[in-house]
Amino acid sequence: MLTVENLTVRYGAVTAVRDLSLSIGHGELVALLGPNGAGKSSTINALTGLVDAAAGRIVLDGRDISRTRTEDRIRAGLTSTPEGRHIFANLTVAENLRLGAATRRDPKGVRADIDRFLALFPVLSQRYGQAAGTLSGGEQQMLAISRSLMSRPKLLLLDEPSLGLAPKIVVQIFDFIGQLKAEGLTLLVVEQNAAQALRFADRVHVVTSGTLRYSGPPAGLADEHGLLNLYIGG
Amino acid sequence: MDYLFQQLLNALAFGAEYSLVALGLAVVFSIMGLVNFAHGEIIGVSAYSVFLAAALGLTSPLVAVLLAVGAAALAAVAFERVAFRPVRYAPTTTGLLTAFGVSIVVQNLFMLLISPKPQSVSILNGLNQMWFFGPFAVSSLQVLELVVAALAIVGLVLFLNRSTLGLAIRAASRDFATVRLMGIRANRVIATAFAISGALAGIAAVFIIARRGSVTPDLGFGLVLKAFVACVIGGFGSLAGAAVGGMLLGFIEVGLLVALPQQYGGFKEALTYGIIVALLLYRPEGLLGRRAELGDKEA
Amino acid sequence: MAHMEISASTSTAVATPSGPAKPVLRSLLGGLVTALPVLAIGLLILAFAPAYYTHLALAAFVNLIVVVGLQVFMGNGNIANLGHSAFVGIGAYGVAVLATPPAMKKLSIPDAPFGLADIALDPLTAALCALLAVGVVAAASGKVISRLSGVAATIVSLALLIIVHSVFLNWTDLFKGNQAFFGIPKVVGLPGIMAAAVVVIVLARLFKDSRWGLQLRASAQSPQAAAAVGVDAKRLRLVAWILSALICGLAGILYAYFAGTISPKLFYFQQIFMTLAMLILGGMATVTGAVTGVIVLSVGLEFIRSIESGVSIGGIQLPQLLGLSGVALGVVIVLSMAFRPSGICGRHELDEQLARFFRRAR
Repeated sequence: MLTVENLTVRYGAVTAVRDLSLSIGHGELVALLGPNGAGKSSTINALTGLVDAAAGRIVLDGRDISRTRTEDRIRAGLTSTPEGRHIFANLTVAENLRLGAATRRDPKGVRADIDRFLALFPVLSQRYGQAAGTLSGGEQQMLAISRSLMSRPKLLLLDEPSLGLAPKIVVQIFDFIGQLKAEGLTLLVVEQNAAQALRFADRVHVVTSGTLRYSGPPAGLADEHGLLNLYIGG
Repeated sequence: MDYLFQQLLNALAFGAEYSLVALGLAVVFSIMGLVNFAHGEIIGVSAYSVFLAAALGLTSPLVAVLLAVGAAALAAVAFERVAFRPVRYAPTTTGLLTAFGVSIVVQNLFMLLISPKPQSVSILNGLNQMWFFGPFAVSSLQVLELVVAALAIVGLVLFLNRSTLGLAIRAASRDFATVRLMGIRANRVIATAFAISGALAGIAAVFIIARRGSVTPDLGFGLVLKAFVACVIGGFGSLAGAAVGGMLLGFIEVGLLVALPQQYGGFKEALTYGIIVALLLYRPEGLLGRRAELGDKEA
Repeated sequence: MAHMEISASTSTAVATPSGPAKPVLRSLLGGLVTALPVLAIGLLILAFAPAYYTHLALAAFVNLIVVVGLQVFMGNGNIANLGHSAFVGIGAYGVAVLATPPAMKKLSIPDAPFGLADIALDPLTAALCALLAVGVVAAASGKVISRLSGVAATIVSLALLIIVHSVFLNWTDLFKGNQAFFGIPKVVGLPGIMAAAVVVIVLARLFKDSRWGLQLRASAQSPQAAAAVGVDAKRLRLVAWILSALICGLAGILYAYFAGTISPKLFYFQQIFMTLAMLILGGMATVTGAVTGVIVLSVGLEFIRSIESGVSIGGIQLPQLLGLSGVALGVVIVLSMAFRPSGICGRHELDEQLARFFRRAR
């Protein structure tokens, strides 16, 4: 579904991502692991086009989107839930969900999707008319993922969904991610919390200092003690 | 009593005009951080369009009003497309100076292409009449100004709350990147904001033409300086602050006019700005800061 | 603006402006090198040019001092200042009121308050008093400006301009209002203004390279980082604001002493437009930029003005084109901002550029 070849991201003189290649197949959940500052978020932002790639190719469903604008990449079926959730704090829960569906032209389908997420996360239903900024961190993450899904993406990029959340909530969020995968959604999950990310991952990429260190099945990662230790605090 | 009522109406009418222009500035600033010094020249384009149309034989005031608003919206979008897009992601100072440059260019173009002298425009004079309510004589223009400004603000709030683009504008004022992640085109959001900003300026232009009966190259410049001040008192970038700041400015000005003895009337301007600067000493972030916005549900 | 873009762009910009503070001697030399072209042009005009050009040069040198003053605040503090002409005006009107002979004042401002109509100070004392007035107004307005964020500070600088202008216009007993204030002793000529320009250029350079200048530039680029290492940005902005005002005030004083006649409209938006365009075109980050902008635009504008007033080309008389120079100024600003926001000179002073050039040549 998504192929990334030799992606490089630079901020001025600093190279955040160097020559990174990876691919994600239909229905797969791929985990991208790495410590803080490894270039994970830069990778995601380059995939969505919020930062320009200095070099490399990004191909979505056979179409080169390397030079496509962010808005059009979203319209092509790729979306991301940014790190730190970035819900629109000054808008209500309802308005957040509506903006998530901004590209859709089927009001009935949109309504049905909203109902579905409200049923899944009853707390969003209770806070439906309130400013999203008043939600707790976990609730905001649920809203952020729901909002991303409102555009009916083919591929969802999740940037640090566990960031700053209590362990119990993290489990809940990843249960939901597992459910999405079971429904057939393709996902790329960027995480520092390797244990959770590996619960449903088909394949794992490990990146440090902007460079890919490991690509393969989760089991293979377990063998490479040094690497694993880096991410689950060994 | 009559005098007081008249002055109250004056203050409200001035305030309404400042609010309209200040709101236009705030809409643009809130989403892209642009301090649009060329806003006054949007008013200018609007006014000169009416002047040219009248010179070419337009007689319908209604068409003139629509033209004024339409031309202003169009001019605002055009300014963005030509001058502001190249500096969209540049620092605030760069955008501010660019806008300042645009303002100088357009003002001087009016001078160069039309005339440095005031040009008479009488097509909208009909808006300016005396209405009598029992013992009260009021200027129709002031009443209209107040009503139309109120309607425009209600319309703006509805738009910002109901339409997807309106929601996007509010969202973009905090987090433009994430708005783009919703698949909403940045260019469309910005163009819409400029069109709104321009339309508000166009409404203000209608009242200016009707009151003055003439147009000059620097028609909008002085007004926009005041609108900036209104924005600063209200809290720069806050829409509610712009509306409130505009009203407050109207009241300060008329209050000074009433309070100052005749021979010191000339100091009204200096004192108005002085009061505002003093106000900022106590509240550097403005009255409403960058908190609640029109239509925001935040506590 | 947008969260992610900001984080991306600041990470590139955080680097320190230009290394550690330089020794005073090097800055002094650097300033003198920067002033050299100015001195050369001035001397050439003094020696060879007809009177008309001497007059033009005087105006250009006054603009130069204003632009260098503007650079001190804008270049180091990175806040747009649109009110500096207020200080030029205070300087000029200060000496006009204080140094004009009573015989003249009897004609122009017979009702001046505080008995000012009957006294006249010698030009130097009057100039010092005018500078003091500039300093007081600058300190008071700077108190507000230094506390505000960039945009609000810019708007307040505008408010200051309007307040001061409005006082000139309306306090007719003291400033003669809209009419020209004449009879100011003409005690300054081209050599004097040239010397002042050189001193001001060196002063601006010394400030830029000083610890204060460096800290101010650092805090303008990265407020949090600078605050974290204990830089008091507000105080530094205040210092730069006052210094900038004093330099602008000096320009006003010199102008009044050379022209002998002033009026409020000289110190209003027209001057703001022109000096701002000069600084932006040359590049506001450096004193060299200020100098370059003044030289280039002074020449350019003179050319445009000759067209503006209606020229005849091949026997065909072109009509007056009022506004042409204004359009040109605006276009210069817009194009500079879009294509070269750092101006002609970029980030390096003339002496730094020369040093790099010679290093490469070797």
